Amino acid sequence: MSQPQRVVLAKVGLDGHDRGIKVVARALRDAGMHVIYAGLWQTPEAVVRTVADEDADWLGLSLLSGAHMTLVPRVLELMKEAHLQHVGVIVGGIIPEADVPKLLEMGVAKTFGPGTSLDEILAFLQKPRERTP
Amino acid sequence: MIGDLFARMRHGDRNALSRLLSHIARGEFVDDIRSLLIPSPQAPSARVIAFTGSGGVGKSTLIGRLIPLVRAANRKIAVLACDPQSPLSGGALLGDRFRMGSTSDDGVFIRSLAALSGSSGLAKHLDLMIDALEAFGFDVIFLETVGAGQGDVAVGHHADALVLLLQPESGDDVQWEKAGVLECADVIVIHKADLPTADQTMAQVRAAIDLSPSHHIPILRVSTKLNQGHAELWQALESLPARRLRPSIARRLFQHLIESQECHLRELEAEANAELNKLLADWQAGTLSTVDAARRLSALFSRSLLASADVALRDGLAPGSRSPKASG
Ligand SMILES: Nc1nc2c(ncn2[C@@H]2O[C@H](COP(=O)(O)OP(=O)(O)OP(=O)(O)O)[C@@H](O)[C@H]2O)c(=O)[nH]1
Ligand SMILES: [Mg+2]
Repeated sequence: MSQPQRVVLAKVGLDGHDRGIKVVARALRDAGMHVIYAGLWQTPEAVVRTVADEDADWLGLSLLSGAHMTLVPRVLELMKEAHLQHVGVIVGGIIPEADVPKLLEMGVAKTFGPGTSLDEILAFLQKPRERTP
Repeated sequence: MIGDLFARMRHGDRNALSRLLSHIARGEFVDDIRSLLIPSPQAPSARVIAFTGSGGVGKSTLIGRLIPLVRAANRKIAVLACDPQSPLSGGALLGDRFRMGSTSDDGVFIRSLAALSGSSGLAKHLDLMIDALEAFGFDVIFLETVGAGQGDVAVGHHADALVLLLQPESGDDVQWEKAGVLECADVIVIHKADLPTADQTMAQVRAAIDLSPSHHIPILRVSTKLNQGHAELWQALESLPARRLRPSIARRLFQHLIESQECHLRELEAEANAELNKLLADWQAGTLSTVDAARRLSALFSRSLLASADVALRDGLAPGSRSPKASG
């Protein structure tokens, strides 16, 4: 039997809407994953520490505040410093079309816009990934 | 591979510790890790405190408030927080960490764990995780259970102290008394003491405790909402005697002895050791009593142990120098 994937879900930035992320959290749990809900208003430092200590396979960041072009690169940079490049990063929220390729270029595995279905997210996360020892 | 990971952990690599905990949680390499974690008698001893109580009583929030107090006392703290795992999907929503508040302080380590329902409200192999955290250098280790009831007595075996949280108006005190946890607790916290009927709950719990002939268990009122009672609780926890370590070090050493002798036995069997075969034949024939046979087996073990120590010395390896402790 394959081991459940560990997914950290966190909201960075200032907006206080967590309905979306909670719906995603529940769907991932029902699909057999272990979801660590880190909560709202996380600093990039705290998020990366959570990813490290939880030995996550995935980090799901949710942003609505429009600060993605500063916050996402900051998180990715800290992840590299913490030797966590093996962790896949997905970003959900309102991201202008033009920014998507930039985020992918930086190392984000995939972005999910507001209309994304839960099945789409699940299908992406359930593709097999290698774990480094 | 696991040896490398272990060595990195011993050298202070936090990611290695984290990965080691994942292996333990999944039951991978458990025997290897157990033998690598053989305690030395001088091992720094962490204080392990378990928190139990019904779902929603405020275990995570309370732990979140205690963390800064532990840090203020200049102690490094790790938390193992268990939440239930769905028996159907195997999935889990691990939300304790969120209630504990976020930090990037190096002296704080929080790991969320999924515990199967019907178990003791704890994740598997918790003892090994505790040993790993201790080996990494954490001074204080908090455990949060799922709060399942009966099984929570078991958490006491892993911990120096068991803290039971009760909240007013829940009927919790009766439930936990029935489950036999009330008298197993080392400290009872009436949590959410800001709620109006806290006094009444306190009186009921006191009455129930006084009925049992055991010891006097401290009962403390704490309100995380009003930020009251945490310093007193931490003080009470600090002044409790360390119950886990002394017996368990002896038992772990004994465990090691048994495991190493099992290895020896397998080797002696494999090489069809003449002395072993003679001994077994005599025992079977009835010319050697069981007690005498066991004595001779034990003597055979110690001779072969000494022989391998001689070889190690000759090869320039002092006994014990191959243990992970000494290489670190
Ligand atoms: N009135 C009051 N509410 C509190 C207090 N402490 C925590 N709560 C609330 O109690 C609820 C549950 O808190 P948690 O810390 O998640 O409880 P828990 O025991 O860890 O819950 P599980 O992990 O699900 O078993 C939250 O809504 C808290 O805000 C308190 O001192 N007073
Ligand atoms: Mg909790």
